Amino acid sequence: MLELKGIYKWVNTGNNRIFLLKDVDLSVKPGEFISIMGPSGSGKSTLLNVIGMLDTFDQGEYNFLHESVHQLKVKQRSALYKQYIGFVFQAYHLIDELTVYENIETPLIYQNIKTSERKALVADVLDRFQIVGKKDLFPTQLSGGQQQLVGIARALIAKPKLLLADEPTGNLNSKQGEEIMSLFRELNREGMTIIQVTHSEKNAAYGSRIINLLDGMVAQ
Amino acid sequence: MIRNYLLIAIRNFWKHKVFSLINMAGLAIGISAALVIYLLVSYEFSFDTFHRDRGQIYRVVSKLDFPDQVIRNGGVCAPLPDAVKKEVSGIEMSAAFHQYNSDVRVVPGASDASADKRVFKNQEDIIFADGDYFKLFQYEWLAGSPASSLTEPFNVVISESRAKLYFAGKDMADVPGNTITYNDSITATVTGVVKDIENNTDLSFKEFISLKTITATGLKNNMGWEEWGSVNSSSLLFIKLNKGTAAAQIEKQLSSLRTKYAKDDYMKTVNLLQPISDLHFAGEYDSFARREAHKPTLYGLLAVAAFLLLLGCINFINLTTAQAAMRAKEIGIRKTLGSSKFHLVSQFLGETFILTLLATMLSTLITPGVLKIFSDFIPKELHFNMLGQPHIILFIIILIVTVTVLSGFYPALVLSGFKPVQVMKNQSPSSPGKTRRALLRRSLTVSQFVVAQFFIIATILVSKQIQYALNKDMGFRKDAIVNFNAPWNAPDKGKRLVLLNKIQAMPEVAMVSLGGSTPAAFGYSSTTMKYTDGKKETETTVGVKYADENYFKLYNMKLVAGRFPRQNDTAVTEYAINETYAKFLGFKTPADAVGKILDKGEKKVPISGVLKDFNDKSIHSAIKPLVYSNVTGNHATFHILLKPDNGSNSWKNAIAKMEKDWKDIYPDFDFNYSFFDKTIERFYESERNISRLLVWATGLAIFISCLGMLGLVIYTTTQRTKEIGVRKVLGASVAQIVSLLSKDFMQLVILAFIIAAPLAWWALNKWLEDFAYRTSVSWWVFAGGGLIMLMIALFTLSIQTVRSAIANPVKSLRTE
Repeated sequence: MLELKGIYKWVNTGNNRIFLLKDVDLSVKPGEFISIMGPSGSGKSTLLNVIGMLDTFDQGEYNFLHESVHQLKVKQRSALYKQYIGFVFQAYHLIDELTVYENIETPLIYQNIKTSERKALVADVLDRFQIVGKKDLFPTQLSGGQQQLVGIARALIAKPKLLLADEPTGNLNSKQGEEIMSLFRELNREGMTIIQVTHSEKNAAYGSRIINLLDGMVAQ
Repeated sequence: MIRNYLLIAIRNFWKHKVFSLINMAGLAIGISAALVIYLLVSYEFSFDTFHRDRGQIYRVVSKLDFPDQVIRNGGVCAPLPDAVKKEVSGIEMSAAFHQYNSDVRVVPGASDASADKRVFKNQEDIIFADGDYFKLFQYEWLAGSPASSLTEPFNVVISESRAKLYFAGKDMADVPGNTITYNDSITATVTGVVKDIENNTDLSFKEFISLKTITATGLKNNMGWEEWGSVNSSSLLFIKLNKGTAAAQIEKQLSSLRTKYAKDDYMKTVNLLQPISDLHFAGEYDSFARREAHKPTLYGLLAVAAFLLLLGCINFINLTTAQAAMRAKEIGIRKTLGSSKFHLVSQFLGETFILTLLATMLSTLITPGVLKIFSDFIPKELHFNMLGQPHIILFIIILIVTVTVLSGFYPALVLSGFKPVQVMKNQSPSSPGKTRRALLRRSLTVSQFVVAQFFIIATILVSKQIQYALNKDMGFRKDAIVNFNAPWNAPDKGKRLVLLNKIQAMPEVAMVSLGGSTPAAFGYSSTTMKYTDGKKETETTVGVKYADENYFKLYNMKLVAGRFPRQNDTAVTEYAINETYAKFLGFKTPADAVGKILDKGEKKVPISGVLKDFNDKSIHSAIKPLVYSNVTGNHATFHILLKPDNGSNSWKNAIAKMEKDWKDIYPDFDFNYSFFDKTIERFYESERNISRLLVWATGLAIFISCLGMLGLVIYTTTQRTKEIGVRKVLGASVAQIVSLLSKDFMQLVILAFIIAAPLAWWALNKWLEDFAYRTSVSWWVFAGGGLIMLMIALFTLSIQTVRSAIANPVKSLRTE
């Protein structure tokens, strides 16, 4: 599905070059559920952002579904992730000014999908996550677990091939966290490729493979 | 997508109510100003734009070169039209007409004698014209025709409105055949009725007496019918050039006509062509004594509108970019969800558009009120009627789009430029960009205050100059003097003297005089005079005024040498000249001039005395050579000095008595009096209008700028809540915190003053150049202006800074 080869990312401060990612190789096959682990500052989120094409890298090759990401222009990259990748965030990142329904609908708007079709798709997802009754509420009126549920629903609405999750349970209590993780497992069983960043061994165990990062390098 | 944006926009307005209101108020003020000024400017420029082939129509005007003075006159000498018709080539048609003097007494006489004879006093808009006039300017005919209606003497064509007035209840077809008597001397038969012109025009004549009537009556003597040497502003000539003929070519032919006919023309007269589009802005050429527009004023107004609009836009840019961080998260999320930069820019422009739309709706509600406030200098005919004037709607649309782009584009770019990764990491947008934007915000704030500061200083100085003009010692008494004119077309001098004696006998009256115009007056009459001191001959244009013996005492005018001239009823025998003239003639001391002889062409007149210089016009003009003639026979201005008003309405009673005496002697004429000091105030009407306009512009500029600053200070204090809390915990006093928060803004205000002061100094000196006598541009005008701005700014800031300084620090720190 995707392949990273010798990825480097750095920042220059004065004469020093600090490496955020150093010679990272990673290949992900369709249907995998990968957990990225490591201490704070080890580069987990940076790696996830590079995979999600939200962030650039300085050296190396990145192939995503037979496209060479490192050769693409910003616009093409954006078109690519828009179509194939869904994001879930630790802090949910719902738009406060929009209702649950409107938040879930937003990605479809950017893919120029017609109103009638949008309605059907959003209704399906609301149904599946059993949040139909909450569709007219604003994010601030929901609990953290419910907000994350909406966040996942929004990530899945455009039927992505890859789901990226940055500490999806970090702001939740353990019961809510377990619910989210079992949801991920269920999605993975249906064929969704998932990459998650996590601190928790327990959550990492839901995945099929664990990548350990230390100081920007994959620990062997 | 649109619905989504709209929802976000409305929810955002609601969430940030204060900011939205500030933005909207600022924009609404700017838009209202632009709207009102557009209405005014488009109205003034709409005059006489409807004529067929208007680009080819010109008025022939005259420029008279006197030895040291140029006089411009909108009319031509009476024989010119005939000569033009016969001898000038390149003209498709020409139309000459003569204005009947104003205040005509009209008596319509219905042919069937059923209606009683009513009298209409002071009728205007009456001209002598022929069929050519109606060929050049198109009218809709309700009865009669341009070819047949004005062919004979004593024919008259009237407009529908006059027909309804004179022959009420009659069908338009029945109006022809009735007669109308003008000034008891001309009785004309109505031969046609035309519809009134509905478009804006300066050619709003309503009664057209056939041109041949002039030659058939004594009128031709009054009008200098065959004289090439005199120009009458009521004899007008309009021509329509052939397509492709240049105006200069016609002017050349006109000049050769003059050399042919006007041989002994002592003043050099030049006939020029004035495009009909300039008629409404005729300036010195005058357009039939109608209200004219002044192009520089209109351009000045446009500048004011542009400034106010700009201030509103600047507010918007400032507040939106200041708030940008609050929306950073939304932008980041939208980008990860696949929004392109284009999507975001259009979303934010859309929000600006909606806000502008709301502001525009608000200002269309305000506009009629604004028109009312400024009714003094807005023509009465001007209305805010969107449906009747589709161009207003077009202008509003253009305005909305311009304002949206101007104020929305930059913030949209800033907002859409946020990087999603940084936002997702819960970082605020990168710091270098932040300082750059802060710099931009500061410069925009400074430029707002430059405008406001400029207006403040200008307002102070303009009112200082007006005060100076009104209080300046002009060299004569101004208070407690009443003036009125005996009817000019009631020439019986005996009646005037009867009235004068009656008024003199009133106990409230101190002194009376019957003479020419007041010492300072709007009108001006002049002649050329020669003086020969044996070797050298000095010829110049000299203003002439007329006075009886009481006049000088009444106005408390001073002599510097000789004596006042003794009044003579029939012919001029003595002159009093002013100091300026004495100096001009080269006398070392005024006393040298006494007894010398002035040569006025046909007459030689001795100088009896020299008057101390006084301002005979507004202080726009310098004092020029002037003589007072002692002949009073034809002059009919009453000058009445009242005794001090003792609080028992004695002036009011005196005027009521004068009116009663007037009615006894002139029952057919209205009594129109004016106080002399009020007349002088009217000299400065345009300055007073400028002053009033400036006060408004200043108020609005300050208001908008302060709104913007308030928005910014609310934003900064919110940003610094934690800092303020920490400082207070460490022991800072409220005053220290307030000054900490205000310091930055005060620096901007002071910087604005440093920029605005020299600009204002330059512009105001330029404006004062228009006055021969001017007030000084004192330092305190600037210091005061700066202080006012500073106080207003401090007050505005204190609304927010004090509140955040006295807030309990425990609260602000707990939320962190």
